[in-house]
Amino acid sequence: MIRKILAFSIALIFIFPIFFLITSSFKNNIDLFSLPPKLFLFDIDFSAYERVFGFSKLLKFDPSYSELYLTSRILDSLIVGIGSSSLTLIIGIYAGYYISRANFKYKNLLIMSILSARMMPLISIAIPLYFVYEKINLLDTYVGLILIHTFINLPLAVLLLKSFFDEVPKQIDENAFIDGASKIKILHKLIIPCAKGGIAVTFILSIIFSWTEFICALMIGQMKIKTIPIQASIMKTIPSWDMMAAFTTISIIPLFIMILMVRKHFVRGLTLGTVKE
Amino acid sequence: MAAQKSYSLPSFMNSDSSLPWLLPLITMLIVFAIIPFFYNIYLSFHEFVPAKRALLFVGWDNWIRLFTDGVFWGSLKVSLYYTFMCLLIQLVLGMGIALLIDSDDPGFGIIRSILTLTLVIPPAIAGMIFLIMEDANYGLIPWLLKSVGLIGPEDTILADPTLALWGVMIVDIWQWTPFMVLILVAGLRSLPSEPFESAVIDGARPFQVFRRLTLPMLHKVIAVAILIRGIDLWRMVDYVFVLTSGGPGTATYTLSLYSWQRFTFVQWGYGATISLFSLIVILIVGNAFIHFAKVKW
Repeated sequence: MIRKILAFSIALIFIFPIFFLITSSFKNNIDLFSLPPKLFLFDIDFSAYERVFGFSKLLKFDPSYSELYLTSRILDSLIVGIGSSSLTLIIGIYAGYYISRANFKYKNLLIMSILSARMMPLISIAIPLYFVYEKINLLDTYVGLILIHTFINLPLAVLLLKSFFDEVPKQIDENAFIDGASKIKILHKLIIPCAKGGIAVTFILSIIFSWTEFICALMIGQMKIKTIPIQASIMKTIPSWDMMAAFTTISIIPLFIMILMVRKHFVRGLTLGTVKE
Repeated sequence: MAAQKSYSLPSFMNSDSSLPWLLPLITMLIVFAIIPFFYNIYLSFHEFVPAKRALLFVGWDNWIRLFTDGVFWGSLKVSLYYTFMCLLIQLVLGMGIALLIDSDDPGFGIIRSILTLTLVIPPAIAGMIFLIMEDANYGLIPWLLKSVGLIGPEDTILADPTLALWGVMIVDIWQWTPFMVLILVAGLRSLPSEPFESAVIDGARPFQVFRRLTLPMLHKVIAVAILIRGIDLWRMVDYVFVLTSGGPGTATYTLSLYSWQRFTFVQWGYGATISLFSLIVILIVGNAFIHFAKVKW
């Protein structure tokens, strides 16, 4: 019992900053700055949300009222997240399946390279790519950012998908191969349906890590494209705190929903497929 | 646990050419890892000269500057300190909490779910939450510390040269201790129960069981957690960017942030040199760690 109380109080400490953020988004500017902080008893105020979504006082939709075009930032994150995760998945499925099934000469070298790609400080990719992108006009485009986020998520996707494919018995595809099915058909018709849970997990984790990525999104997106973390980081000044809170609350709730959907495989994703829950 | 299978029969895939399967992946690795790596080397021997508005060859100048630059050594120290301290604190705290919540009781399942939530918050946004909570005038944390007398009434956290780094580290510890907890709990739950039962029958004390049984059996899980956390700590830039922008002065510059900051000051070559240094260090240390800790994929 004592153990349970202790565990729950630790959980409360970890949940507190999230609770603080969400309640802050409903506070008016007086309660937001009051000390001691008003944690529970405050006047609920939706004005920050109205400004984030661009509703004027009369609740009429007016995009120009949303001073920072915040809803379009969420759209930016969605496009980049879904685009890069889809591309990651396409590349990752074929590579992951091949690495899972075949034994080839440079297999260890390939896995080492994939892990080394995961180690790269993102700034060391972003600086050179800035110049490459500048030459080929990919700066500040969705395609440019989608490609770099695809690269960032590939080590996770390939190794995680490999670990999921490893769980599909080899007999399935070997029997089908003896029966004369083509390899690509075996993957599409047999293996992908068997591993679809794992593929969904990989897709969701890729979206999450694309949404949370900061430094590449900062350097490759300039004026037109700003993902959620970049936009949040500009709203540092005190007068925009309530809007920042409302904006980030809206943008992290989808992440919470996604992560609770794949909670069982989350540890496996974080450790690139090595530790299973 | 590791997906290492012994291939008794040669797989039908072996006869196949690997190229079509791996080509997209290898292309991505070349375009986004190999090319930037060599471009970084190229940049580290060049510098933008404002007078001529061009990137000119400067030989070893950037590297000489790197090793004589006090700010660089400072940021290296910050990066090392940050990485080791956060890793240590998160590992110890994480192990403690993991042992606490390692149970079949459904209540502890809810706690594990709660702990996953911090991990998906974009680090920049986590930084913003703590920016509000650590604000010198309106922040909750300075107010609390002042009311219990830990810091003086005029003290601040993020503007104080000695406290600022801890102000940043507290965010990392808050956000990523659950990472350690979840991985370690997963490791603990996969351990067989027999050795522990017989240890209890033999009259082993809990600490002995932990030292002699739990730790050695968790060795692989702990190694993976240290590796992945260490990589991310070493390249961390979001928190300092949001919370202190490297300040006060240069007290909280990490290597990545200093590299980015030089880049924005149009010292492209020097910025690339710093990031290249940071890249080479993590590639050597990371791969050596994988080798010596025998982490397998």
